[in-house]
Amino acid sequence: MQVKDIAYARSGDKGDVVNVGVLALDDAAYGRLLRALTPDRIKRHFGEWVHGKVEVFPMPNINGFNILLHNALGGGATKTLRYDVTGKAFSTALLRMDLPE
Amino acid sequence: MKKIRLGAGSAYWGDLLEPAVELADKGEVDYLCFDHLSELTLAVLQRQKAKDPNEGYIKDIEPWLEATLPQARKQGFKIVTNAGGANPAGAARKVIEVAERLGIGDLKIAVVTGDDIFPDLDEMRSIGIKFPNLDTGEEDIDRIRQDIVAANAYVGGDYIARGLAAGAEVVVCGRVSDTALFIGPMMHEFGWTYDPTDKDKIGAAITIGHTVECAALATGAVSNLWRQSKDPWRPGYPIAEVSEDATAVISKVEGSGGLLNEWTVKEQLVYEIGDPNNYYMPDGIADFTTVKVEEIAPERVKLSNMSGKGLPDKLKVCIGYRDGWEGEGSLLFSWPDAYEKARRGERIIRERLKLLGVDPIELHFDYIGVNALHGPVAPEPGEMNEVGLRVAARTRTKEDADTVKRESTHLWTLGGIGTGYLSPAQPRPSVSLWPTLVSRDQVQMKLTMVEMGGARK
Repeated sequence: MQVKDIAYARSGDKGDVVNVGVLALDDAAYGRLLRALTPDRIKRHFGEWVHGKVEVFPMPNINGFNILLHNALGGGATKTLRYDVTGKAFSTALLRMDLPE
Repeated sequence: MKKIRLGAGSAYWGDLLEPAVELADKGEVDYLCFDHLSELTLAVLQRQKAKDPNEGYIKDIEPWLEATLPQARKQGFKIVTNAGGANPAGAARKVIEVAERLGIGDLKIAVVTGDDIFPDLDEMRSIGIKFPNLDTGEEDIDRIRQDIVAANAYVGGDYIARGLAAGAEVVVCGRVSDTALFIGPMMHEFGWTYDPTDKDKIGAAITIGHTVECAALATGAVSNLWRQSKDPWRPGYPIAEVSEDATAVISKVEGSGGLLNEWTVKEQLVYEIGDPNNYYMPDGIADFTTVKVEEIAPERVKLSNMSGKGLPDKLKVCIGYRDGWEGEGSLLFSWPDAYEKARRGERIIRERLKLLGVDPIELHFDYIGVNALHGPVAPEPGEMNEVGLRVAARTRTKEDADTVKRESTHLWTLGGIGTGYLSPAQPRPSVSLWPTLVSRDQVQMKLTMVEMGGARK
């Protein structure tokens, strides 16, 4: 199972930080994501694209999370050489993450 | 209970025009708010202003005002915009021209300035203000001083509120925060202030502003639910109906396209934010972890239980500086062995640049169809019909950027067989951002009222 099966995600940028908001589809999914979305697992998932630290902020009021990926956009929207200059596709990339049993 | 309706007319420079007209015609709004600025925009606008002192504002203001001002006049709603960019006074002159063309002779405009500290940098530096870089920790701006093209403080909605209190029908601002465009009217209408007793109300105002400021992004654009978005070619933009008790209902014009439900509002709530417990804005710190999001009827989503933590001591300043040039080119390789040919193309470019003695600061290759968007997260592909190769480089000189562009086109012939290429973009200056904080008292805000038929302070 992947994050895609139990959540929605949307990503954006602030300087060289990419944020990925994750919305669990129900309470059970939120509980499962609380265990799955650890900074270590997320950092491994994105590999060489995330040079800095990863922070995860739970938002229990909306069964959501905000993930911050530092130094993740090749210098930020104004200077990155990547195709996806504002990091919009980090959302769908996160949805590919496998969930532990 | 007193309620006001705020429409979000645009989210970026070059946004769609018709949804704003729909809001003006059928949204029954009290305020129509236009955001046109991004982190990069001020650098572009300052460059325009340097070439011509009458320029430096967002040109969209002309068609947008032309299309919505007649309804504003007829219904009595107010317009708030940050299209002033690097030249709010210039934008206000354009608004007057538009009004004259529409036969309006007595428009009152408020011009909010003071966010632009670019002209004051040397003086501020000379009295010991260092502008340390929040991202890199670099202590002062001296290394980049000569390359700085823009420096703007993100300012709040208080001067918008003052302009409205002075009777303005159109408020033209520069780099106010996106949320301030909505917070200003709420402060004006409900009498909310920066006093600590109002901190939850300002927290609510920030949360509400954030929910609608990106326009279509709250109504089915950039959405996981894209399949459900009705007639996505004519999206309805959001309206925040704000009550005096600091709750709000998000809606859109009945029958408009797009999608508005609990999920699209939550998608926007988590968009482009940092720590949700402390969402810093010039007007206050909002806590997004208390808000209750509730779909109370079709296309009506209620926000309640919002909170805040008071006014931050400092203002964020975004400094933009020239940092080399960017050159790029794009090729498309066909079956058979498309990916192998694309990878060989990368090797050819690298060798060509070496042969020509061009050493970019940074050289980047995207494999379109393979991993351009997901990078290391994307699995290895199987056989592909075609693969795009995009080469992009940041270089020290314009000439080097041009060489990268030119060399990319050679892959049309050197890149194997069955290769197409896109006419590449021209080399462009690359701008880096230098985020920093300054004390509030170092930014002197100013309100200028302009009345048609004569100007007064």
